[in-house]
Amino acid sequence: MRSRVVEARSFEGRIAIGGGLEHFSTWGMSKRKRPVSTGPSQDLSEHEKTVYDLIRSKRDMGIRSVDLRRDTKLFPNPNVVDKALKALLAKNLIKQVKTVQYRGSKHYMATEFEPSAEVTGGAWYNEGVLDTAFIDLLKERCLIHISSLKVATVDMISDAIKRSKIFHAECSSQQIGEILRTLVLDNEILEVKSTGLGEFTCIPIGRVCFKLARKPGSAKEPKAYAMASIPCGVCPRIEYCSPDGIIKPSTCEYYNKFLDF
Amino acid sequence: MAIRAGKQNLVQAFTAKDPGGHGDAVKQTTEYIALFDNIIHRTRFPKFIIVVSQELEKGCVELFEGLLQHGRLTLEKLIDRAKSGKHIQENSNIENAVRENLSKLVHAHFVERCPAIEPVLAPPSEDELAAKKRASRSLKIAAGPDIVQRVLEAAAPMESKRFLFMSDENCIDSEKAEASFVDVGEKRKHSLLASDSDLGIKEEVLWRANYEEFLRRFRHKACVENVRERLDDGAAIALSSMLEAGRRLESKLKTETSVSVSINAIYEEAMKAEVGRSMTLDDLRDYLTLLECQKGADESYSIDLKSILELAQNEEVESIVLKKYGKDSYRIFRLLSKEGHLVETDKISDTAFVDKKEAPKILYKLWKDEYVYMQKVTVMGNRQSQFVLWKVNKATLWKNVENDMYHAALNLSLRVAHEMEQGKELLSLPVEKRVGTLGEKVNRLRRIRLVLEESLSKLDDAIMLFHVF
Repeated sequence: MRSRVVEARSFEGRIAIGGGLEHFSTWGMSKRKRPVSTGPSQDLSEHEKTVYDLIRSKRDMGIRSVDLRRDTKLFPNPNVVDKALKALLAKNLIKQVKTVQYRGSKHYMATEFEPSAEVTGGAWYNEGVLDTAFIDLLKERCLIHISSLKVATVDMISDAIKRSKIFHAECSSQQIGEILRTLVLDNEILEVKSTGLGEFTCIPIGRVCFKLARKPGSAKEPKAYAMASIPCGVCPRIEYCSPDGIIKPSTCEYYNKFLDF
Repeated sequence: MAIRAGKQNLVQAFTAKDPGGHGDAVKQTTEYIALFDNIIHRTRFPKFIIVVSQELEKGCVELFEGLLQHGRLTLEKLIDRAKSGKHIQENSNIENAVRENLSKLVHAHFVERCPAIEPVLAPPSEDELAAKKRASRSLKIAAGPDIVQRVLEAAAPMESKRFLFMSDENCIDSEKAEASFVDVGEKRKHSLLASDSDLGIKEEVLWRANYEEFLRRFRHKACVENVRERLDDGAAIALSSMLEAGRRLESKLKTETSVSVSINAIYEEAMKAEVGRSMTLDDLRDYLTLLECQKGADESYSIDLKSILELAQNEEVESIVLKKYGKDSYRIFRLLSKEGHLVETDKISDTAFVDKKEAPKILYKLWKDEYVYMQKVTVMGNRQSQFVLWKVNKATLWKNVENDMYHAALNLSLRVAHEMEQGKELLSLPVEKRVGTLGEKVNRLRRIRLVLEESLSKLDDAIMLFHVF
């Protein structure tokens, strides 16, 4: 299993979530550091100061290099901007961040700020890309605990994950809830309300809880229903198909494959 | 041709009255409407026969097959049909057997009295005419669902007569029948065969298969299977028992809620099946609660069938989306389907855990194929921002899916016919020559036919889910 550290945002501040058994970075850091009061501007040239002030004004949103050139009105001299950026990076006054919207272009931010969720994509993004490996890992753990508990609330699953100590840092109940929501959309689990009877005995009546959508041991994928089981049901060319047309059932390639036993 | 089609229950004749203008005599013309659903039901005859064979004995099945073949028959014709090819000494036994079997079929509601051959349809009222003119000023409406419904209602026998079978006579006295009719302002014409005029006017009762009963059972079965898939066998047994107990009381096919039935009646029904015998009354109560049944006075229960069928329809369409577009699209589609309202792109991406760059591409593809509806909204603030919102428009999508299902059903039929045509020579080989390579080819052809026909049968169940239920 690949280990990775993901920096994420939550109500408590930054959370580091370790994926796997490797060590991870600390947590509990505040949202942004207090801005440095003594002016670095004394050490900066005029161009560097202009660029730095503009970048700093964008706070936790940062700015793309394209927009930077336009806004600083130094556009006729793109080299000047590039030189200023290089100097500021070297002095550690600004940093480059990966954004979810503009992955191809360079995005700058003052060092004292942490990128907002709008820039990074949110808690589940790592360097501008959705961290599907970590999400899949969390989904898998949730399914294991639901399978063992038979029926469980968000809090029960969240507690079970904490107790398992698979992850070094905690995922909030809200985050577990988001994972469970996506498992419902995957049709892996069902969201039901406790009746207080039978398998719901331990859960207060009316409380939202989750159970596996399919019986253990059954097929992993959701069942293919009537239309999805035949070539025509998923054919991208069905609107062009007719009994005597160029695309027709008697010569259809998809049917040939379907009947190729 | 029209009369033959009428006998096969594919068209319904009616007498239309045209009041004419002032001073003009009332004109009466015979018109016909095609019963398209009945045309399609003919492909379901094998399913109907299976249902009858599961409940009644062989004699009933043979009688029923005769009615399907000929469309409508009198008791006399049924007896003649049964007698043909048999020894004359067996005739009285055959006659009794036919009466008994027909009685069983009628009692089970598999067979019903035929509707009136040519009911008289009263002209529409002035209000109805005005409404129709407003609605169809530029449209030519030949026979909309409205007139079809009116004709069928006018032709239908009274509910008390529909399943009335008198075993000791094959006709009813029309005077008695007239007296028992509810006066609805329309005169019903009765068929056909007048018997000996010395005995007064008599009508022979025509019998036909009651499609509605089979469709009702298929509808119930679809609900039960959906529950079994989603919940478990116990819940399925509870639902099945509840529907069985109330089936006779359902007044129409597409009831939104099942008939309210007492817990004791449901329990009694559950005990009839072997699988239900281990269930206690408390178990049954728990299952009915799990099914979210509505509990009435005196501990009677009913269930929202419409919701179950909607879930089944959703699953059918979601299955197509998964197979055609993949898991991310499936999650997005299910999200929009559950939300039921417009949702913004980023919100979709966040909730469905689809990368923000990928979500718009997926949504665009679904939109192009008319699985989702798109709306752009511009918000004026300090800066003008444009948002793209999406939702599943079920009414449009369900119609498209239904059309595709009919198209697919046609394609399956054509492919079966094509494969059988291609393999005609192989299939005509005598059994002793079907060895080696030839034998393998024959087996392959059989397997192809089986797969295609099974697919068609399953698809037909899905068509009923969208069109009939």
